[in-house]
Amino acid sequence: MQRKHLIRLSYLLSLLLLMGACKEEEYAIPTLSSDFQNTAIKRNLGPNLIGKNMEFAYAMALPQVKGKILSAQVEASIPGAPGTYLDNQSYHTNLSRVDVGVIVGEPSVTEGNKSRVAFTADTCAATLRYYYVVPEAARGQKVTFTFSAISSTGENVSYSMGPYDVSRMDMVLDLNVKDGENSYISIADMAVYDETAAAANPGNIDLVYLYREMPSVTFAHSLVSPAADPQYLPSVALPAGVNKSTRLRKAWGLRDQQLARLQFGIFIDDLDFQQLDLSDAPNYGINMKAESGAWVETADGKYRAYIFVNAVDNTNKSARISIKRYAL
Amino acid sequence: MLFPLVWVSCKDDFPIDEDGLLITKRAQCYVSNFELLGSDLQTVRSKNPVIDTVACTIDVEVFFGTDLRNVYPQFSLVTDAKLDPKITGKMDFSNLDEPKVFTVVSGNRQVRKPYTVRVSVQQ
Repeated sequence: MQRKHLIRLSYLLSLLLLMGACKEEEYAIPTLSSDFQNTAIKRNLGPNLIGKNMEFAYAMALPQVKGKILSAQVEASIPGAPGTYLDNQSYHTNLSRVDVGVIVGEPSVTEGNKSRVAFTADTCAATLRYYYVVPEAARGQKVTFTFSAISSTGENVSYSMGPYDVSRMDMVLDLNVKDGENSYISIADMAVYDETAAAANPGNIDLVYLYREMPSVTFAHSLVSPAADPQYLPSVALPAGVNKSTRLRKAWGLRDQQLARLQFGIFIDDLDFQQLDLSDAPNYGINMKAESGAWVETADGKYRAYIFVNAVDNTNKSARISIKRYAL
Repeated sequence: MLFPLVWVSCKDDFPIDEDGLLITKRAQCYVSNFELLGSDLQTVRSKNPVIDTVACTIDVEVFFGTDLRNVYPQFSLVTDAKLDPKITGKMDFSNLDEPKVFTVVSGNRQVRKPYTVRVSVQQ
């Protein structure tokens, strides 16, 4: 009997809970601000690399009845490298998802750390793009940006972006290596050499690329240190002085977006190199496949790098590689 | 509504071992599959492993140039069995002359079978 009462009580409590529902507030159309307004977004992802673009979109608008935009400006905390500019086109995306630019002002004028566009079109709204080429001076630093615009009403608006960390990494894309020809890889120089060039600069050679087809062994495309066991350098006659032992660890599925330029949103950043431990890694990587990679540390401990294999060609015994390098 | 939930209590009559795993009545004790992954978490086997559940041996051949100091072994065991020692990360299989031994313990924890993993390199 008592249990029956308890069950009834629990039903009653549940009913009370259900009755205490929230009342939904009615939606109201926001009132349009009559002020001159602006906003900005950063359009590119991943580490900010020296010599590469940081891209922003800067939007500004005021009510049409109030006036028009006279100018827009971006001020960077560190002057951008040559090629830095504020686009004089206002972009919108059409129904085919294509960005369409409409010229709204004079070409950008960049002086020092400021890029400016003077408007020529009678417009009360625009979205300009800003391309900041990361300069060498910003390596390992933080950079900030102040976007600003002036309207015909005399109003001045500004919007701050950042600070953004600038990477200490270097990157080189699409080096072609070929067995027996351009097969000597230098991490220090971020370059690939043939035998003659390697002999002239043996101290900078960190790895040898080779391709072998063997009847009972899977060798294929390989990256091998000059000092590795000779069994991993079959039929290779190294130039005099090419003798470094570079540690290397193979990686799979690590398709850095900046190296691979594929659809994968993976980025190798400074932190990855800082935390990398290759103390027990071998000095060779056999059977490297397309879209695989290898973490590398040079014998002198000066550099860590990630070598990404963009493509391999068994017929021509060659491969295309891209490298991100971090100086310790 | 809460009261009925409170009334449904658990009865604690299933034994567990020192790892907090359920001790069952199963006496089967064998390895059903074996895998060896490299530092890139890809298989380093050049062919299927040969598992002898009578002799308690696992023969596995790996690719030429495999970094055997940094490999991750993976065992598939019969239901409810467990492995001793536990695999907690990468292991060193580079000493081919001294094969590693892993003991499979049955679900009832009464049967123990030591499996020897013999690694050879593709030549």
